[in-house]
This record gives sequence, structure tokens and C-alpha cells, in this order.
Amino acid sequence: MTNQAGRHREGRGAGQRQAEAAPPAEPGPAGYADENLDRLLGLVARDDRSAFDALYARLAGPAYGLIRKVLRDPAQSEEVTQEVLLEVWRTASRFDPSRGSATTWVLTIAHRRAVDRVRSETAAAELARKSPLGLAPVDEVAESVEASLYAEQVRRCLAGLTELQREAITLAYYGGYTYPQVAKRLEVALGTLKTRIRGGLMQLRNCLGATW
Amino acid sequence: MRFFPGLPGAARRLHELTDAYALDALDEAERERFERHLRRCPACVQEVRELASVTTALAMAVSVEPPPALRERVLTAVAITRQLPPEVAEPRQRLGARVRLPRTSGSPWLPRLALATAVVGVAATVTLGLLQISTQHRLDTAQAQNQEIAAVLAAPDARITSATATVGGTATVVLSYAEQKMVFASSGLPALPSSKVYELWLLGPSTARPAGLLPQPSDGKTSPVLASGLEADDKVGVTVEPAGGTSSPTTTPILVMTLPSY
Repeated sequence: MTNQAGRHREGRGAGQRQAEAAPPAEPGPAGYADENLDRLLGLVARDDRSAFDALYARLAGPAYGLIRKVLRDPAQSEEVTQEVLLEVWRTASRFDPSRGSATTWVLTIAHRRAVDRVRSETAAAELARKSPLGLAPVDEVAESVEASLYAEQVRRCLAGLTELQREAITLAYYGGYTYPQVAKRLEVALGTLKTRIRGGLMQLRNCLGATW
Repeated sequence: MRFFPGLPGAARRLHELTDAYALDALDEAERERFERHLRRCPACVQEVRELASVTTALAMAVSVEPPPALRERVLTAVAITRQLPPEVAEPRQRLGARVRLPRTSGSPWLPRLALATAVVGVAATVTLGLLQISTQHRLDTAQAQNQEIAAVLAAPDARITSATATVGGTATVVLSYAEQKMVFASSGLPALPSSKVYELWLLGPSTARPAGLLPQPSDGKTSPVLASGLEADDKVGVTVEPAGGTSSPTTTPILVMTLPSY
């Protein structure tokens, strides 16, 4: 297990270098393209719209992809992504780098909004998201290069979990379900579920290393 | 990720919510309770942070490029949305905030409004020029209107949405249900002869209420129009009407926008 985790870390390191070397799909204004994201968000907090544009180029894809993973519906996902990015703009001054990276901050907001939205949906929409498992986008939407590198890493780490751990974590995070809902769907006791998720997250953390 | 065996039962149960909190798998009440706890628990903050590196990796793994049109909509929204000041003024940030946030002038909203109109409406210089040559009465009216617009843009529940008209062009609406108002601006709508005008409507379930006429565009953009009396199930429509406008629509709307839910 230790060796395996070591290999995973090496894999991630190489992937990251490639990802950083690749130009953003929609480059922001010159001079900001390579700026550290935490610093960029600091500039955004001071009303700098060019910095926001550069931030958009780097984080709109991850935010949209995550929201879409949870919500499934492309139009709704676009709407929520717009709300999230606008909230990032409005509240940029509240970002505290001592509590986590800019990427984590933005994606936490994105996930929270997506989950809130999916939980407010009707039972009809519920039917449409019966199978939130699996990492690859379900449709023909192309993943970004960066995403495929992370996806490969995450896939390998998820593969190291037990089936129950993997299903529980993906249902909770990508499906937007609460623990009691996940327990019901997987037909396990709530206490068992908590323990399995805890163990799974710990294992994932070791496998993924502390990137963010 | 610790089990905190020495803590009293209630505190330990809160600690055990850390994983679910990190995954956003708490219901709303539990989430609020945990967040209150988080303020007094540095160990939990650290643990949440560690777990966030896992969830961020899960998030990055499903990244998808959004449709290109989203960028323009977001940047337009940003241009007319006021930022929150820093919550706690750290010395490092305070200077920037002081410089950026106009607080001392008699019309604190005007700089942001000028910025907004530069992007979604007429050029800032035109707006300011108009204000300067106005009579005192008109100046007061314009400022009152600008302050009302600013109040919508700054409302805590302000939402923004955009849509494309059937005849081409984009409309952007900022609305506040709390204020029961919305601000409408457009760009790229085709120019009309002087005998016609674009009229704005609030479309309820059974009636259309007139919500104002769009001003003549400058550089293809119409300056922000404020409409009051917004209700929860309203949509926003635009029709082409005879100059002066009408009390109910006489043509097919070139635009019907569904607004973000209440």
C-alpha cells in the first residue's frame, strides 16, 4: 500500500507539471496567465476585473464541471456556474488563504451551490439522476486536458477503496446526498456508513497527497 | 482525522460531522450547527482543510469547459456588481479597500454606476456629462434614479441573468425580490426607426404590465432602466411598439426572460 501510494504521488507530480505548462483555454490578459491563483484572487478582491478574467480562464471549467456532475442538466449548471462565479467576485475579499487555496475556496462554493440546487429539485428530477457513479462525464462533453490528468489520478485512488467506500463517497460528493440518504440507497446502517466514509477519505488523502 | 475520544459526548458528535461537512452531506440545520462549532474549534478547521484537499481533487477530476458564451455573461455581470468590503480590515487589505470603495462623496454609488453603464449602457462620460448639464431638478431626479438602481445592484438578494433576443442582441437583468425591482440593460439590439420603441414588460401569469421604454441605444447599448413592482413569478419581456409605448403589448415579444427563482 505504501509503495502504491508513492507511485500515485509521482504520477500526480508529473501530471501537475504538464497541466501547468498547458496554456489556459481562454487566456486572461497577458501577465496574469501564470499568476498564482491565491494572489490572483487577492487582486480580484481589489476590484481588478482583468484579474477576474484570468481567474475565470483557470477556474470556470473546474466549477462548471463539478456543478454539472452534481446537477446533470447543462442549462441549470450554466446558470448555477454564473451565480457561483459572481459570488466569487462579490465576496473575494472574504477569501482567507490561511484556510485553504483559492481553488478550494471557489470549488467549495460551487459544490455547495450545486448541492443546494439539486436538493431543492422535484422528485421528477430525482429520477433523472439515478446513477451518479462513475467519473467520466456521461455525455460527449470533452474533459479538459487538466481534468483528464486529475481524473486519472483520482480514478486510481478510488480504485484502491472498497466498493462500499467508493460508492458512498461518490454518492455523497457527486450525488449531493446526505449520509442518511446514502445509507438508505446502499442499504447499510448509518453508523457503518460513517465509519466506511471516514476510512475511505483517509485513504484517499494519503493516496492523493496534499495538493491543495 | 481523529476520533477525539476524550471529549464530552455532544462535542464529540459535532466533531464526527467533519467528514460529512467536508462532503456537503449535512442537511441545512446540521450544517449551520457545525459552522457555529467551527468558529470555536481550530482543530476542526484544520481537519476540514485537510479533507478539502481530497474534495478539491474529486472536483478537479470532472472539470469540463463551459460554453464560450458563459464568459461574456459572467464578465458583464461582474461589471455591474458591487463587491463586498473586507469583513475584518487587515492592515494589508485596508488600504486597497479604502482606495476602492467610495464612501465619502455625496453620491457614493456613482463611480460604480459609471462603471456599469460603461459596459452595459452608455459610456460613462455621456452619463456624467448629462448629469452636469441637467437642471438642478433633473439632477436630483437622475441621482435619485441612480441611487435606486444602485440599491438594486447592492441588494443582498440581487440576482443576475442574461438572455439573447430573437432579433439578435443580449439583455441583462439584475433583480432583487426584496426591493421588488429590476434593472434592465441591453446591447446589440437592432436600431429602430424614430416611430418605434422597445418597450419593457413584466409578464405575470395572466397579465403584462408595462415596465418602461428602452432609451435610444448609444454604441448599440441601452443605459440601465429601472422597473418597480417586480413579483415572484414574473418574466421579463421586450416588444417593439409605436413611439411613446402602449399599455399592453401589440407585437410578438423579441425577448422573454425567465428570472431566477425567488
